[in-house]
Amino acid sequence: MKLKLTWLMTLFMAFVMQLSFAQEKTVTGTVTSATDGLPLPGVSVIVKGTTRGVQTDFDGNYSIKASTGETLVFSFVGMKGSEKKIGQSSTLNLAMAEDLAELETVVITGYAGATNSSRVTSAVATVSAESIESVPINSVDQLLQGQAAGVNVSTGSGQPGQSATILIRGRGSLNGDVEPLFIVDGVPVDQDNFRSINQNDIETMSVLKDAAATAVYGNRGAGGVILITTKTGKKGSGVQVKYRNLYGVAKQPKQRFSVMNASQFLTFQRDLLPGDAGQFGDGLSDAAIATIAAQTNTDWTDIFFREGRTISHEMSVTTGGENATSFSSVQYYKQEGITLGSDLKRFSFRNNFNLNSSDNKFNFVTNFTLNYSISDFVVDAVRGTNTGGQLDNPFIVPYIGLPYLSPYNADGSINIWGTGPTAGGGSGAYNADGTINPDTANGFKNTPFIALNTAALNTDQESEVKIIGRIAADYNFAKNLVAGVSVGLDYTNIESLNITTPNSIRGLITPNEGSLDKGSQSEGFYRDARFITNAFIRYDNDITEKINLNAAVFAEYNYQNTQNAGFTALGINPALIGSSNGFTSGNTTEGDDSDIYNYIPSVFSFESELALASVFATLDLDYDTRFGLSASVRRDATSRFVANREGTFWSVSGRWNIDNESFMEGVDWISILKLRASYGKVGNQAVGTNRYQAIQTVSSGSGYQLGNSYTLGGLVDPQIQWETTNQLNLGLSFGFWQSRLTGELDVYNFETVDLFQQDLRSQAGTGVATVNTNVGDMVNKGIDLQLSYDILRKSDSNPWSITLNANANYNKNEVTDIPGDAGFTGTTLRVAEGRSAFTWFLPRWAGVNPANGEPLYYDVDGNITNEYDPNNAVYLDKNFDPTYTGGFGADIRYKGFSLNTLFAFQADRWKQNSSLALIEDAGLGANLNLSTSMLNAWTTPGQITDIPALSYGGLRAVDGDRYLEDASFLRLRNVSLSYNVSQDVLAKTNVFTGIRVFVQGTNLVTWTKFRGFDPEGTTTSTFFEYPVPRTFSLGFDLTF
Amino acid sequence: MKKYLIITMSCVVLILTACTDQLDRNPIDSLIASTAYQTTSDLERGLNGAVGNYNFNPIIGFNSIFTDNCKLGNDSGGQELNTLNQILNADTGDRGLWGSRYGVINDINRVLLASENITPNPIDLEEVDTYNNVLAQLYAFRALAHYEVLLYYGLNNRDASSLGVPYIDYVSPDATPARNTTGDVLAAIQLDLDAALSLFPDGTNDISFATPDFVTFLRARIALETGNYPAAITYANDLIDSYPLANTAQYFNMFNEDADVTEVVFRYNNVQGFDYGINFIWNFTGQGPFIEVSDELAGLLDESDIRRTVVLDATSDDDAMIYPVGKYPPNADTNAINDFKAMRISEIYLIRAEAYARQSQFGQAAQDVLSVRNARFGSDQGPLGYGSVLEAVQDVIAERRLELAFEGHRYTDIKRVRDITGEGINREPSDCEGSVPCTLPDDSEKFIFPIPTSELNANQIIAAQQAPGY
Repeated sequence: MKLKLTWLMTLFMAFVMQLSFAQEKTVTGTVTSATDGLPLPGVSVIVKGTTRGVQTDFDGNYSIKASTGETLVFSFVGMKGSEKKIGQSSTLNLAMAEDLAELETVVITGYAGATNSSRVTSAVATVSAESIESVPINSVDQLLQGQAAGVNVSTGSGQPGQSATILIRGRGSLNGDVEPLFIVDGVPVDQDNFRSINQNDIETMSVLKDAAATAVYGNRGAGGVILITTKTGKKGSGVQVKYRNLYGVAKQPKQRFSVMNASQFLTFQRDLLPGDAGQFGDGLSDAAIATIAAQTNTDWTDIFFREGRTISHEMSVTTGGENATSFSSVQYYKQEGITLGSDLKRFSFRNNFNLNSSDNKFNFVTNFTLNYSISDFVVDAVRGTNTGGQLDNPFIVPYIGLPYLSPYNADGSINIWGTGPTAGGGSGAYNADGTINPDTANGFKNTPFIALNTAALNTDQESEVKIIGRIAADYNFAKNLVAGVSVGLDYTNIESLNITTPNSIRGLITPNEGSLDKGSQSEGFYRDARFITNAFIRYDNDITEKINLNAAVFAEYNYQNTQNAGFTALGINPALIGSSNGFTSGNTTEGDDSDIYNYIPSVFSFESELALASVFATLDLDYDTRFGLSASVRRDATSRFVANREGTFWSVSGRWNIDNESFMEGVDWISILKLRASYGKVGNQAVGTNRYQAIQTVSSGSGYQLGNSYTLGGLVDPQIQWETTNQLNLGLSFGFWQSRLTGELDVYNFETVDLFQQDLRSQAGTGVATVNTNVGDMVNKGIDLQLSYDILRKSDSNPWSITLNANANYNKNEVTDIPGDAGFTGTTLRVAEGRSAFTWFLPRWAGVNPANGEPLYYDVDGNITNEYDPNNAVYLDKNFDPTYTGGFGADIRYKGFSLNTLFAFQADRWKQNSSLALIEDAGLGANLNLSTSMLNAWTTPGQITDIPALSYGGLRAVDGDRYLEDASFLRLRNVSLSYNVSQDVLAKTNVFTGIRVFVQGTNLVTWTKFRGFDPEGTTTSTFFEYPVPRTFSLGFDLTF
Repeated sequence: MKKYLIITMSCVVLILTACTDQLDRNPIDSLIASTAYQTTSDLERGLNGAVGNYNFNPIIGFNSIFTDNCKLGNDSGGQELNTLNQILNADTGDRGLWGSRYGVINDINRVLLASENITPNPIDLEEVDTYNNVLAQLYAFRALAHYEVLLYYGLNNRDASSLGVPYIDYVSPDATPARNTTGDVLAAIQLDLDAALSLFPDGTNDISFATPDFVTFLRARIALETGNYPAAITYANDLIDSYPLANTAQYFNMFNEDADVTEVVFRYNNVQGFDYGINFIWNFTGQGPFIEVSDELAGLLDESDIRRTVVLDATSDDDAMIYPVGKYPPNADTNAINDFKAMRISEIYLIRAEAYARQSQFGQAAQDVLSVRNARFGSDQGPLGYGSVLEAVQDVIAERRLELAFEGHRYTDIKRVRDITGEGINREPSDCEGSVPCTLPDDSEKFIFPIPTSELNANQIIAAQQAPGY
């Protein structure tokens, strides 16, 4: 082989020599960019009509042998090509202009890698590094909000690093995984954990939205695929060192409800609220109330929200030689949440390395990232088994914290214990004699102090090591044939630490009130490792002048192993917190008869596996750059299922590049016009959390009297298999007026069949209510529109560049078939045939009867009734998932300045506001603060109000749709202003090649009707979630 | 080129063949059903699992909170409002009783099925006894579970031809049974109880499990409920002969750290680490009550009645009218681990009293009521006499209200004696403030539980047999 090559080479050289005999001379010159005057390395310079060519070096210089009268052709990606005739001079310099009209974006589409956008047949949205870099949001999935059409991103908590929930083109599954498959540099990764990854390492994110792009991911692709490509050096770019710095402040979001102040609350208790037990205000005179309110009038938001700081330092080195490029980065990142005890600290490291042989036949790539992060958590509503109603949840306090309690000790420090007996207007932490009362210290009135105490004294921490690595190589072993292999790993190790210290309020009752030793410590060791190996052969050939064929076959094996072990120990020595030497022995007995075991530790250890073996093939056929046909087929065999283990998934897609037709030659205003169509079948094997869905198991555990027990591990359907989505997509890509206006319009129809659901079983007949199996169908139909319009383009005469961009998705979800005869499942939030999945079904609240203050409802026919009856529930035609999502913004540049804005929105989305319901519950007014709206409660006949008479007590169990609220929102997601110091100035420094400074605001303004802190969230019924903060940051990048 | 293709394809095939073996992954953390049960001790594990799933809390909770025994608690954060508001519909309200009991029945049937393939070593008498005892327990609990479902969901327990509930003695992945008639269900229950009696090894007397006395007790309950008063009296006589009534100290200890079992025939033994936490049906940790003893019941409990000390928690406050439920107290260990004394002999006295009363044997009825009352006061509370069936039954029920409060009887008691009293549930005004209803008429559909929506949706046959009014 080598021999053959050398021989070819010799021939080639000889031929050149022969031609070059006559009037040759050496032409030299420098190629620069017309925009900024910087030298352009890597520009191809070819003598027209010959095969002679060179590339410019690092400084933009070239040298080529040519004859007078010949023409040099200069070309470079993204620049307008240029031809220059060689005159007498042997120097030929060129300033190349940027080519905006012809600039073809490169799209990453999966196993094929980078492809010119004109050849893409699928629906793909690309998010570039620019729009996500330096945004102080610590989870790359969250960063997609508002960035791409059809990508609906919701975040459940403002905890730094919180992973978002992403729905691509609507909810494709009811009980299976709805989120897309995430692939980082070819390695499938955990879709719910990105907190350790440095988003500044990302070059692009590609969102694959239809079967043409996702069928090649087989039984994991139905929810869409998000490909993340990290940065690498550019060939010939030399060494570039960049230092980045960011400093930010996170603040509480706007509060869209109001609670009573001390004076209002105490007067309300005394004058309006019926009942007599434990209402502090009842016995107070006006003067007494005024005195108390003058001394203490606490707004608990002041205490619980803080300004969380973000600090980031990052150093990256990019190199680009002739045959090797690399990108390395290290980052230290620290972000505090907006409440005490919530933060994320991270150290991340990345090295990407690309190497190719000098003949370009052999390519070798490694991507490697190692990250360590520590997260501290508060009692977050969406964390673990929390519901939001925990009294140590800091975000419940601004709602229910009593305003007449002072947050301060006498010495001015924050009180983290509470005050005296409730009867005397205290919080109940202490008895009258000054001793602590463990019961009432954990009671409702002490809520603010419980939350402060837990945040200050207890620990809920996770330390994570995350490694994502891949090694890949390919070799062009024969003409038109490339073979390649790759091995990848996603490794996550999380150690969790949970300490309830003995000297905390929660510690007083841990393990229980009567135990002599207190407190608990839990540790968990979680390890998840995902391996992928892949081998392929690709054939790429211009079969005729007009036909290009690219076909490839792949074999792939994925294996995932997850282990989780841990313990909980009880009775902690306060002097030895964190060490097992401080644990009380499990054998210790207490009580009068020494027969009570208070400190028995608990332990657990679990393991599960997944394996997936696949073969697949792709085919791409291009005819004259006018027509294209792509097809893929994948056969997956998964360990998840037994009887139906193997599935075949496929897609066929085509394009017609109308702009390349000869009849379009005269149509100047159209630069891009491409029709796309695709149809295919994609699967979703991630049905349920249990990885052994098809195997009937018996669970072993502790049963009656703690005896060893066996019970049925849930009834299974051995025939269970993946869900299938049949996806049809029609798309139009366009660019008008030199691509000033570009866009993509797609319509789609995705039909999920064999929906993974709980098929109903007679509990009487089978002992279980449901069995997980494949029943039901659902359809998502919709439109994606992505637009970009350059109002002004930078040119020699115009320093301004203004681009507007917008994207939107309309998605109509309809459940077409579900198990059972009723045509629905669920009670108030239903999945019902002929309706959107998760649609609200509630009795309708009709307000308050002005005559007597009683609550009124509508019956099914719309008549007013004073009786609450669940049978009056109706479909409200309000769904939980938004119908409309999208984003829009502008990119404005002037000289070195650049202003970037992004708005994101979700519309037609309905959630229960249970937080507000709680503070409008008259039954709770003895113990908790209430909404100021309660001051408008009905008192006199004829009074028009929306708050019923307080004598009706707590109505939360009978409030119907009273608190079902429109959770649509429009949010100024990100706005950033940056300045790039001009090259002239930089040149003088002799040190820097780039300086960029920026200020940025994230989530600055949110417009919504939802009454709370944050309309976003991922729960259907909001209950004191950790809101997403507003963030202000500033920073600079220095490039050397 | 062909060569390369062949090589690559062979590699692909090789990789795949290697991988296919990798796809047979079995669970690491649980057993495979088909091979789980191999020995008699595996069957014991199955029994522990089935009995462990037997949850009395839905019954204890419903009977108290739905009726006049409870009011909204001082520390209410909105807990239990549905039941307190007497919202009982097919979607919510039955507190999962249907699913819980049929779940246990299914557990039992699966273990019984597995037992068919296991034969104890006939020479190992201990194993034979264990094997037989496991089967006896399974039959006895299957009978109890079916009886309880019938009690709450059956349309008319005194009419053998009326629709009862499905009687299930099989394992199926997809059965959709219809209601059996009340008579069929009762007959099957008796067969199960006969089977249990025939299998109990000699000397079976662990009150934490079923015993021959458990069987007699259940038969007495069934006889009273189904209107077979002579039988109720006969079964009661059997048991009264062998169990004394607890004196006041024993009674107190019975509910305080489960320290006395003088009159306990069957207890559901909650232990540390396996505890249904009965106390927390009404209270937060530290006895903060979200549901309390009603003012009415608190007022009915005489100061010198030991039951007042037991029913009302020590933290009760008469002035503030705060009455936390104290029957399942935190105890010295503060863990509030309490057995559920599911069958106590005093209930048998009152079963016999009601049977006598309904047969107009007023003297005997009064004597039984008085026996219980005297034992609780620790002094003679007589004389007591009745002039009518109504008066007698009312007094028996009033005594049951005090004696069996928070033990899962009040709702079914009111329901059972409606034929005599003509009364539904009536709460005192101070117990039904706000949106809490004060009365439930005696002809309310809510005296029969609706079959839950989940069952109706899955089972067309029974959907046509929903209780009237739902």
